[in-house]
Amino acid sequence: MKILNVDKLTMETTIVQRPGNIISDMDGETVMMSIENGKYYNLGEIGGAVWKNLSIPITIGDLISKLTSEFNVEISECQKEVIPFLEQLLNERLIMIEKSI
Amino acid sequence: MNTMETVANEVIYKAFGFSVRSKISFPELLIVENNSDSIDIEIELKDLSNLWLELSDSKSTLVMNEMLVMFKVADTAIFLIEKGKRITVSPINQYKEDIIRLYLLGSCMGAVLMQRGILPLHGSAVAINGKAYAIIGDSGAGKSTLASAFLHKGYQLLTDDVIGIYFTKENEPMVIPSYPQQKLWQNSLDEFGINNRELRPIYQRETKFAIPIKNQFSSIPLPLSGLFELVITEKEDVELKQIEGLYRLQTLLIHTYRNLLIKNLGLTNWHFTNSTKIVNQINMYQLQRPKKKFTANELVLQILSCIKKENER
Repeated sequence: MKILNVDKLTMETTIVQRPGNIISDMDGETVMMSIENGKYYNLGEIGGAVWKNLSIPITIGDLISKLTSEFNVEISECQKEVIPFLEQLLNERLIMIEKSI
Repeated sequence: MNTMETVANEVIYKAFGFSVRSKISFPELLIVENNSDSIDIEIELKDLSNLWLELSDSKSTLVMNEMLVMFKVADTAIFLIEKGKRITVSPINQYKEDIIRLYLLGSCMGAVLMQRGILPLHGSAVAINGKAYAIIGDSGAGKSTLASAFLHKGYQLLTDDVIGIYFTKENEPMVIPSYPQQKLWQNSLDEFGINNRELRPIYQRETKFAIPIKNQFSSIPLPLSGLFELVITEKEDVELKQIEGLYRLQTLLIHTYRNLLIKNLGLTNWHFTNSTKIVNQINMYQLQRPKKKFTANELVLQILSCIKKENER
């Protein structure tokens, strides 16, 4: 049973970190522990930068444009990398979708 | 003789770098003769039965929150640990000082360390070339036996059973010397006395295996420079491999002494952050030892050669 339909992520979708995750730095990469499920995650260097941008609600479109300027990459390439990563975060319940206002 | 009698009531000891004033005597601890420091930890005897009834529900043996840790060992005592400063013991029925002492130096000190923000790992630490190396592992993995093999080779011991780690201003992890005694029995002591049927044989073994090691005790804190997780394997040979990635954090969590306290004391974040500090600065290894044969001396050689290789890098 799939509760979350992650296929519905669009550029207009607003996402935000779920509370209850602890972040630290390990060998230059961002590592996280979920208090809810006790699991450890290594977000990596880029993943850490993505995560930082999710502390307050942000649309995926805005996130992508922030990251493209920060890392100097093409929008299409950035989307290709970031969307699957966000889907993973959603599936692991590390972020959530905010209802648009 | 007279002076002995007057101080017998209350003696100041040194343990884990703290001055401990206690009404219960500890033959295994160093006595501070002329104490000028302030007292860090008080150990007192007091009736806690009413407080226990008030705070615990009928089935629990452990109460813990951000203010206190309290646990009951059936037919032995109720223990209360507050603010990392005070341990109160309330004996039940006949006064069993030997067993009470085990819990004071074990679970109670573990709780004191956490309340004071000192990370306790379950294992032994030895001093090699002015640095501390931790041997961690499950109960019965052979940590103390391995530490004892290091002692036989002339190395010093910082601690057996509980490794207290604090961080300097530069975030360097340091191991605190606990007290100068090796206890080969202690690994089998139950966590908070939940299966206290096991206690009697341990108690009997205590007198047999408690070994004072005053001359081979490293009395100053040393930087933690390597960590070896000792595990038992079905294989025939000793094997050493590096622990990598997130497994390192998990290994530190598993081998944190009395790790069920972490969450209940509100220390999850603290523990995670400090674990990554350790991981960022030292290498961690898993050392497998065959179940069927005594390999302590071989393990010592493996560790020494591993440290040598690291230093050559």
